Amino acid sequence: MPDEKTGRLDEELVVQMKGITKVYPNGVAANQGVDFTLRKGEIHALMGENGAGKSTLMKMLFGLEQPTSGEIWVNGEKLNLTAPSVAISHGIGMVHQHFMLVPSLTVAENMVLGMAPRKGLFLDHQKAVEITKEYAERFNLHVEPEAKVVDIPVGMKQKVEILKALVRGAKILILDEPTAVLTTQETTELFKELIHLKNQGYTIVFISHKLNEIMEITDRLTIMRNGRSMGVYNTCDVTKEDISRLMVGRDVILNVQKDEARPTDTVLRVRDVEYVNEWHKKVLDKVSFDVRKGEILGIAGVEGNGQKELVDMLFGFNTPNAGTITVEGENILGLTQSKIRGLGVSLVPEDRMLFGIAGTASIEENILSDRCADKRFNKGPLFNMKAIHEESDRLIQEYTVLCKSRKQQVGMLSGGNIQKVVVAREFSNDPVLILADQPTRGIDVGATEFIRKKLVELSRSGIAVLLVSADLNEVMELSDSLIVMQGGHIAAYFEDTKELTDDQMGEYMLGLKQQPAEQIRRVCHD
Amino acid sequence: MTKKRELMFSIVRGLLAILIALLVATLLIFISANGDNFSEKLASTGDALKQMLVGPLFRMGKNGTRFETKRLTDILASMIPIIFTGLSVCIMFSANQFNLGAEGGIMLGAFVTGMAAIYLPMAAGLHPIVAILLGGFAVGVMMLLPALLKSKLDVSEMVCSLMLNYIVMYLIKFVLNTYLADKSKGQIQSYEFLETSRIAQLVDDGSKLSVGFLIAIAAVILCGLFMYRTRWGYAIRMIGINQAFSKYSGMKVGTIIVVSQLLGGFLAGVGGGIEMLGRYKTFSWSSLPGYGWTGITIAILAGNNPWFVPPAAFFMAYLSKGCNLMATYAKVPAQLIDIIQGVIFLFFAAEQFLSKYRQKLVVKSAEEEIARKKAMDEAKEGGHANA
Repeated sequence: MPDEKTGRLDEELVVQMKGITKVYPNGVAANQGVDFTLRKGEIHALMGENGAGKSTLMKMLFGLEQPTSGEIWVNGEKLNLTAPSVAISHGIGMVHQHFMLVPSLTVAENMVLGMAPRKGLFLDHQKAVEITKEYAERFNLHVEPEAKVVDIPVGMKQKVEILKALVRGAKILILDEPTAVLTTQETTELFKELIHLKNQGYTIVFISHKLNEIMEITDRLTIMRNGRSMGVYNTCDVTKEDISRLMVGRDVILNVQKDEARPTDTVLRVRDVEYVNEWHKKVLDKVSFDVRKGEILGIAGVEGNGQKELVDMLFGFNTPNAGTITVEGENILGLTQSKIRGLGVSLVPEDRMLFGIAGTASIEENILSDRCADKRFNKGPLFNMKAIHEESDRLIQEYTVLCKSRKQQVGMLSGGNIQKVVVAREFSNDPVLILADQPTRGIDVGATEFIRKKLVELSRSGIAVLLVSADLNEVMELSDSLIVMQGGHIAAYFEDTKELTDDQMGEYMLGLKQQPAEQIRRVCHD
Repeated sequence: MTKKRELMFSIVRGLLAILIALLVATLLIFISANGDNFSEKLASTGDALKQMLVGPLFRMGKNGTRFETKRLTDILASMIPIIFTGLSVCIMFSANQFNLGAEGGIMLGAFVTGMAAIYLPMAAGLHPIVAILLGGFAVGVMMLLPALLKSKLDVSEMVCSLMLNYIVMYLIKFVLNTYLADKSKGQIQSYEFLETSRIAQLVDDGSKLSVGFLIAIAAVILCGLFMYRTRWGYAIRMIGINQAFSKYSGMKVGTIIVVSQLLGGFLAGVGGGIEMLGRYKTFSWSSLPGYGWTGITIAILAGNNPWFVPPAAFFMAYLSKGCNLMATYAKVPAQLIDIIQGVIFLFFAAEQFLSKYRQKLVVKSAEEEIARKKAMDEAKEGGHANA
C-alpha cells in the first residue's frame, strides 16, 4: 500500500507506530493518537517543546513504557514491546540523554556489560577490548577501550553509548537530545559519524529542538505538540520558520496588552545578597535590586545562574551569607514561610508538583492551604464549610479551572489546570508581592495566556511582581523592566523592555557582555 | 479520576483483599482439619468455616442456628479498645508518621488509669474520668519521645516507637512486680480498683459492654470532625500528603508532626484506661495486649479515615471472635487470625495490587475529559462561526 504523502511503499518502513495513545497513571495523556514512521536508512528528527510527548513516544518504541492503545510494527511485524530487552532483540537501541554507563568500569567493560565474553568464570578482558576496537573501527567511532568511563570526556561517553547499542545488534538508533551535552566540535564529529552510520543502512531517530542541527543532518522530521503529531515533513521541503511555527504554534508568541507601568513605593528591597551553596560554590554574588508597587520586574537568564537560590531565599527556604532583604521595610531573613506569607508575599513555585500542590487532596483543600487559619473560614474550632465552598467555587470560576467539581483530586487535572489552582491560591490572598517562578512552564497555551494576563492585571492594580523565567519570550514581553542573571550576579539591567532584542539579551545571558556597575545600580530605587 | 471512582476502587480493592485472605484461611483450615480422607476433611473444614463466619453472632446447636444477643454484645465490647487504637493510628498515619507506639501506649494507659483507680480516691462520677485522662496524658508524654526525636533530629519514629513499646512493657512489669503487686494473690496483679472508679455496664449479661463503647463512638465522631472539619486535622492530612507543600503553604510542620503523635498517644492511653476500668477489677496484664497492632490493621482497612474505623473494628472483632470459636469447637489453631490479618495487610499495603484495574479507570477518566474538552472547543468554534 503506497504511503499517501510520498507514494512510497510500506515495505521501506522499518517502524510504524499507529494511533499511539499513552495515559500515565496520574491521568496525564502524554500521547494522543500519534502516528510515527521510520524509513530504512534515514535520519529522522523528532521535534517538539519540552513536554510535547516526544520522549514518551520513544520510550514506548524502546519498550520502557507501554502504550495505552495503538500498534507498533517493526520490520512488518506487530510487536508487543514489554521491556527494553524485547526492543533490543528486534534491533532497536536507545541512547539516553543522561548516560547509562558504569563510571568505575572501563569502556570495554561497559561495552560488553550483560553479554560479557568469558574465560572460565572470569571476564575475558582481552576479548572485550577486541570487540570494542572492532566495532569502533567499523563505525568510525573512536574510543579508548582501556580507559575508565569516569575519566573520558562527554563526547566519548556518548560514542560508547552508541557503540553499546550497536554491539547489541541495533539497526534503529534512538538518540535523545544527543547534542545537549556536546561542544560544537563534538557535535560536528557526531554528525559525521551519524551520516557514516546512515550510509551503512542504519536508521536514526534524532530527538532535538535545535533547528540548525535538524536542518543540517536530518532527512525527514516529525513535529509534536501537546501530545499530538503535527505532521511528517521532508526536511528539504520546510524552512526553520515553518518548523518553529508548527512546534510552538503561532499563538504562543503572545500579545499581552499592557498599559504603561506606574511604579510607586518599593516593596521588595534586596541588597548585596551573597550565598554560598553546600558545595562551597558562590552562587549569588552581591545581588541588589528593588521591586516596586505596580511593576513587573523580570529576571532573565539561563537556568542555574542563581535564580533558584534567590527565590528560595526570598521565601525563607535558605538564608544568605551576607546582605539584607526587606519587604515593605520589614526584614524577612530568618522568618518562616508562615511569617513571610503574613507580610503579604505569595510564591508561584517553580516545581509545582512538589511545592505547589498536595496531589491526592481535592482542589478545595489545595486552595485552602495558606488560609486555613483565616477567621473567614473558621467558626470556633470548626471550619466554616460554607465559606470554604464559596471561596473555592469562586476561585475555580474566576480562574477557569477545568474540573468536575471542587472535590476533584488536583493531581488528576492537566498541568495547566493544576497551575491555575496554584495561581488561584497565590493571587487571591491580597498579596503585596508576588514571586512568580517559571509560572507557565510546560503548560498549555490557554492557561499560559490566562496566567500572563492575570499577572499584568495584578501588577497594574498596584501589586509588586517579580517574574523569574527561563522563557525569553515570556520574560521580555511581560516585564516592565528586567535584570539578567549570569554566574550568580546581575549582568544587565534594562529599564525598558520594549526596544530589547533577543540577540542583545543573549549576549548578557551567555556572559559575553556585562553592563557597568552604574547602569546596574539603577535597579535600586533609593 | 473522580473521587467517586477513587472510592469505588478502594472498596473493590478492600473487599477483594479480604476475600483472598479468607480463601487463604480456608486452605489453611483444610490442611489442618481433622479427618482421614478428603471428604471428612472437607466436612470439618466446612464446620470450621461456619464457626468462623457465622459463629460470632449465631449459636449452632441441636436446635439449629439461632441468633444470640450475648454474642453480639461480646463483639461490641471487644471493639472498645481497638476503636481507640484504630483512631490513634489513623491520626498518626495521616500525618505520615509511622508511629507504632499505640501498642505500648494502650498498656501504659491501662496501667496509669488502673493505678489512679487504686491510689487516688475520689467521688464516683469524677474518679473514672480523672483516671482515664491521666492514662491518656501519660501516653501523650510517652509519645513525646519519638515525636520530638523525629522533628528535631529526624530519628525514624517507626523504629523508636517500636522499641519504646517493649521498654514501656518491661517498665510496667518491673514497677508492678516490685512495688505495686498484691502479694496475697497467686499471680502478679495489682490491688482491686476502688468501687468509685468503675465504668457502668450497658447490658448486664456479663459481656463487659460498658459505657466505654459510647465514649468510643463519641471519640470516632470527634476524630472525624477533627480530621475533616478543623484546621489542625486539615494540616495533619496535608502534611501526610505532601510535607514540602505544607511548609511552603505556611504550616508549622514540626509542631504538627509532634501534635499528631501526642494526640495519637492520648487516644491510645484513653482506650487502655477505658478497657481497664470497664472490663477488669485489677491490673494484671503481663504482656502487650495486641490491641495496638490490631489498631494498625484497622487504620489501614479504614484508609486512615476515622469515620471508617467502627466498621473496620467490627470486622476485626468479628474475625477474632470467629477464630476463637473455631479454635474451641473445630480445633483449628486460633493463630489463624494472625495469618488472615497478615494476608489482608499484604494486599492493602501492596501498591501494585489491582493497579491495572486502577489504570483502566484513570484512562477512562482521562478519555472522558479529553472528549469533554473537545466538545467544549467545538462548541466554542461553533459559536464563533455563527457570530
